[in-house]
Amino acid sequence: MTAQFVLNAAVQTIVALALGCFVVVLIRNAISLAQLVTAAWVFATRIKPGKGTVELWQRYADIALPVSVIAPAYNEELTIVQSVKALLALEYPHHEVIVVNDGSKDDTIGALVRGFELEPYARTQIAVLQHTQVRQTYRSRRYPNLLVIDKENGRKADAVNTGIGFARTPLVCVIDADSIIEPDGLLRAAEPFMHDDGRLVAVGGTIRIANGCDIEGGSMRRIGVTREWVPRFQIVEYLRAFLTARVANAHSNTLLLISGAFGMFRRSVLLEIGGYRHDTVGEDLEVIVRVHRHMREARRDYAIEFVPDIVCWTEAPAALAGLKNQRARWQQGALETLQRHRRMICNPRYGRIGMFAMPQLVIEDVIGPPAELIGYVLIPAAALLGLLDPVAAVAFFGLSVIFGTGLSIGTLALEEVQLRRAPTARDLARIGAAALIENFGYRQVNMIYRLRGIRSFLRKETAWAAVPRVGFGKA
Amino acid sequence: MTPALSIIEVSIGFSVAMTAAFAVLLVRRWLGERKAPLQREAEVSITRSYLRRVAGQADNEPRQGWTDQIRLAAVSHIHLLLRGGERDRLMQMAELDGLLDATLRGSRRWRTARRIDAIRMLQQFGSEACIARLREMMARDSSPNVRNEAAFALAATGALPPPRETIRILGMFERKPNRLDLALLRASAPHYPEQLQLLLEDEISSHWRAQLVDAIGWCEGPEVLPLLEHAARSDCAEVRCAAIRAAGRFGHPRAHRWILEALDDPAAIVRIQAANCCATLHIKAAVWRLKRLLDDDELWVRLRARHALDVLVDDWPSDETVVA
Repeated sequence: MTAQFVLNAAVQTIVALALGCFVVVLIRNAISLAQLVTAAWVFATRIKPGKGTVELWQRYADIALPVSVIAPAYNEELTIVQSVKALLALEYPHHEVIVVNDGSKDDTIGALVRGFELEPYARTQIAVLQHTQVRQTYRSRRYPNLLVIDKENGRKADAVNTGIGFARTPLVCVIDADSIIEPDGLLRAAEPFMHDDGRLVAVGGTIRIANGCDIEGGSMRRIGVTREWVPRFQIVEYLRAFLTARVANAHSNTLLLISGAFGMFRRSVLLEIGGYRHDTVGEDLEVIVRVHRHMREARRDYAIEFVPDIVCWTEAPAALAGLKNQRARWQQGALETLQRHRRMICNPRYGRIGMFAMPQLVIEDVIGPPAELIGYVLIPAAALLGLLDPVAAVAFFGLSVIFGTGLSIGTLALEEVQLRRAPTARDLARIGAAALIENFGYRQVNMIYRLRGIRSFLRKETAWAAVPRVGFGKA
Repeated sequence: MTPALSIIEVSIGFSVAMTAAFAVLLVRRWLGERKAPLQREAEVSITRSYLRRVAGQADNEPRQGWTDQIRLAAVSHIHLLLRGGERDRLMQMAELDGLLDATLRGSRRWRTARRIDAIRMLQQFGSEACIARLREMMARDSSPNVRNEAAFALAATGALPPPRETIRILGMFERKPNRLDLALLRASAPHYPEQLQLLLEDEISSHWRAQLVDAIGWCEGPEVLPLLEHAARSDCAEVRCAAIRAAGRFGHPRAHRWILEALDDPAAIVRIQAANCCATLHIKAAVWRLKRLLDDDELWVRLRARHALDVLVDDWPSDETVVA
């Protein structure tokens, strides 16, 4: 083997790799553009929520399917009472709130006992899905629709499974205890079930970033936009994720993710699949993929819908340290889910989920981040070495950064036309500035965090890295 | 042109187009905010004017900047604040001012979402002309969503057509029922009890039969009780459930006997429904049968029986009570 041969092979490999990175980024952007166009079409033709049907099903309140709101809580001593009061005050004909204290190290359970005059109460558990021991169940002397479960620590999936096991209603709404639910969030999320003839198994809704908003007593007082850049970039990311990707995926019946901060499910289906998995850090993605798999393997007709209206607000990590842990965990969770359900990928037996949604997840979460990062280094290097046309390097930059900026700004324009939830022109300009800048640095940093998630996955790490948050009203 | 150059051009073009669109929206929002005080002033002025006219007082408000859109928004807002005769007078004034015409025009727009917005306004006006237009939309609109929304609006104003017509127009029997179909049938029940009963004589699926039986529970007057009793002996468990649910809504003592019999029904869902009904109607005579259900094979039957006993028997020592 001559040196020339080795050199040629190396050159060919570099060129092939560079072109591969280019093609992956091209495909990702084409998917994002298709999602933006689809979402714009869905929004343009959608019927805005009105009072007519809600009036009717409030008049016949018993036709509204009762809902159990399951709120897992861990070390929430300072905020839990206000958060639960806000949940109890949600507009809905019949809803029960099940708070699961997941072995908090602080006095979360004490705060609940004092705040709601709880008394120990033995309630039959319909199904045991959790892996840990339930210490005690409580009911409130003041709020008949509140159930509090105190259990050993077992992470969120275990806590949610405990709540599902105690729920007696046809629908369960799984949230984070610190999620701020819109007053009519349950009504909005339950509305698709009113039109449903039995096919619908889950509904997701749009989640927004609450940083910069005034939150008082667990309720939204004033919508605002934070001055900090990291949460502002995340506002743009959430808009892209919820207003375009999920709306478009739901429109094509390929929705693979309902956020852990708010999701409504048929309880029976969650019981059939055994609830959330305890051995993954991406349990919200995994549970939806497993629902798809279960329903398709059983050859049952089903639907998973998405409500584009905002149903819930959540606090985003304000610093890069928190963001790093969060994004690495999301990445690891996605890879764990793909590994567990790899037989679904490109498998026609799973219909459009197997042939379209799962490959899209592979491009987005397995190949995409490393391909883009490698491309940033390899393509300019190849151009400098004369292996690639320098115009190709500029095209790669244009595609990944300039086109990406266009997608972010386009999504923001869609939001302004359809939902208009930025409170003022100044706030809108602030988000616009973030949309312009996020592709120049933030996006690349995020990719690096995702590589850390890939590393955690390869090392089979199971530790749950905390995401530090400032807390509402303290920012 | 090379593909790389095309990509650069498309990326820049797309990004510039999106940024320009966003800039236009931003400026529009900014201008809107600058005009907001004027608009608010106009809204206050319109509100004051309508409230005076409704009360029969003289109206001297200057009418500058009163567009149909602002007036419609103001009328919608005032509509929620007024009741009875005052509300009717407000809607008459709005009609006299030509606002109904604007809404009627909206009900003919090509975009489905706009027609549905118009339906919501027509529902608020509630006059004969509006009801007539809503009926027309329910019967003839090309979009099933619009037909449904018009039906809901008519149901909310108590002007739904007879059930057979509603079922035909909305093509109900050609699909599986949903919970809003049930709401529409229930809304028909007080006005058309005989027609609902006649519908039960048709060849229909058990799903729809159950919905009709449930809706009959919303008729006024106990003359439908024999029909419910007959339904409670149906071969289909879903229909038996609906009959018990309807009887629970009626609460007439004549139904107690067959509700009690349902506690021994072979279908678990019927036993569950009967236990719930016993609790709702406080049927004390059910206690011994409910105690027997505590040993039922089905968990949900046992739970519902236990709940009913909690309601019916003071100090019932179930495992659902407070731990000492």
